[in-house]
Amino acid sequence: MQITSLVFVLFLCAVLAAYFLAPKKWQWVVLLAASLAFYCTYDVRHLAFVLFTSFSTWGATMAMARLDAAQKRYLGGEGKALSREDKAAYRAGVKKRKKRIMLLALLANLSILLVFKYFHFALEQVNRVLSIFRAGPLRDPFRFLAPLGLSFYTFQMLGYLLDSYWGNVAAERNPLKTLLFCSFFPQMTQGPISEFGQLSEQLFTGHGFTYRNWSWGSQRLVWGLFKKMVVADAFAPAVQRVFAQYGSYSGASAFLGILLYAVQIYADFSGYMDIMCGLCEIMGIRLTENFDRPYFSKSVAEYWRRWHISLGAWFKRYVYYPIGVSKWNRALGRSARARFGKRFGDMLPASVALVVVWLATGLWHGANWGYAVWGLLNGLFIILGLWLEPVWAACRAKLRVREDSRPWRTFQALRTFLLVAFIKVLPEVGSLRDGMGLWRRVFTGRSLPRGLRQLLPFVDWSSSFTAIHFFVACAGTAAMLAVSLLQRRRPVRSLTEKWPMPLRALLFAGVILLIAVFGVQNTWMGGGFLYAQF
Amino acid sequence: MDELIAILQDIDPDVDYETEENLVDGKVLDSLSILQMIGEICDTFDITIGPKWMRNENFNSARKIWAMIQAIRQEEE
Repeated sequence: MQITSLVFVLFLCAVLAAYFLAPKKWQWVVLLAASLAFYCTYDVRHLAFVLFTSFSTWGATMAMARLDAAQKRYLGGEGKALSREDKAAYRAGVKKRKKRIMLLALLANLSILLVFKYFHFALEQVNRVLSIFRAGPLRDPFRFLAPLGLSFYTFQMLGYLLDSYWGNVAAERNPLKTLLFCSFFPQMTQGPISEFGQLSEQLFTGHGFTYRNWSWGSQRLVWGLFKKMVVADAFAPAVQRVFAQYGSYSGASAFLGILLYAVQIYADFSGYMDIMCGLCEIMGIRLTENFDRPYFSKSVAEYWRRWHISLGAWFKRYVYYPIGVSKWNRALGRSARARFGKRFGDMLPASVALVVVWLATGLWHGANWGYAVWGLLNGLFIILGLWLEPVWAACRAKLRVREDSRPWRTFQALRTFLLVAFIKVLPEVGSLRDGMGLWRRVFTGRSLPRGLRQLLPFVDWSSSFTAIHFFVACAGTAAMLAVSLLQRRRPVRSLTEKWPMPLRALLFAGVILLIAVFGVQNTWMGGGFLYAQF
Repeated sequence: MDELIAILQDIDPDVDYETEENLVDGKVLDSLSILQMIGEICDTFDITIGPKWMRNENFNSARKIWAMIQAIRQEEE
């Protein structure tokens, strides 16, 4: 089911009607039925993987909870008389059993992700090595399309499994509620990757209809549709042309093509989030925010705290910190401190953890070398930023640059935007070589464009229809920029809330009209959401 | 508690750690400074801080960090 289709709008209307008509204690059942129905419209066979992930996680969390409860009962009763050593040994035994259960569930779920997403890539590398020895290539027995949203819901459930193992959340007793947490349709295919403690209570408790939730939620939903359908989908064919034909472009055109992709992916991904956050807001459910005006970030590290926030938070919590506080990494830090001083010893464990996190982040986005290099490049800039901070501070002092001055902050934001825009295209053009070819083109395509048509060769000028849609999308980009600037202080919806009702209605109707006139046609050309492929 | 405050002051001496309740959410501590601090805390208090404790809410104030240290000590006993 296309999110930007009329069928989806009708589906939403039906879900909302059923949700608010159902008794509050059964509202979660409506959400579960809607989620399973939504998923089945893509590929009913893939539902088996969702069920396996949900029920295996439910089984593991329940088994661990039972062990915890048994330990509490035993040490509070029969085992009270045990010596301190015996109690510690008993606890260690329980911990070991819990760890086995957790690892079993973790490996079972990770193996699905690995087979569907990475097996083919690994096999390609093996075949490359075999070809050196003139051995025949191995055939891939798992050449299937990965289940929709696999990376998102697997990570979400692994987070729940680990939180449950660590005792940070109580295990959910109802397997169907666990299934709802895994398959909740607004977030299942593209995130956000929610924490169990943050989302579950909202899903399982009932919510009444309120005008404010309806008003604010529908405004955000419509704004998301505008970003996706009027802006992202109009730029999509132009971006495809840039990636296919950049070799014949001038440097200026290739540069504009890179900026265009940065706008397209932001409008696409954040548009999806606005649609789904708006829908959930109508139902009284607050999804984790995934964006915080990322293109205004002052460093790559800050950008990643404001772009795809839930993925960054997941990696921080379940990869960065566990590696950072691991015994071997701390020992490495201590040894580095003894040899090279305190700063080196402090920075090294964090840098090791960051390299792992960014390689994993790259490969999470796609199983190819382009994404691996893309991830490592992001990590490299973040690590360099940390290590060179004293150098930058000295430079700022020498140049008498005030850190809080507006020109400096603007320069930092522009620098970061250009950096992330260039890194972004690397894995998207085709191969890694093509990505670097586009970079090279920016600096080597010296021909000067004469006129707008030569400057924007990626616009289909043969059709006035696509050209007009492209320039409407440019105006839409300006509107997105204006909204982002206004959001610095407070949500734009709290500003428009004070406007007279007719004016608000006019604005709302205007945006819907733009979606109907331009967005619907763009969606025929633009296709699906970019992040759905991850 | 004094030893903990000394560790925190090593990260940023300008913060009043006795009263500040928003160390992580207020961006006084980031993930790097938390890792630096963990090393110091583990060495000073002779404890092991595992991944289960690495939640933002455990690091939002000196009082909460101290409570976490006490909880880990109790668990390790």
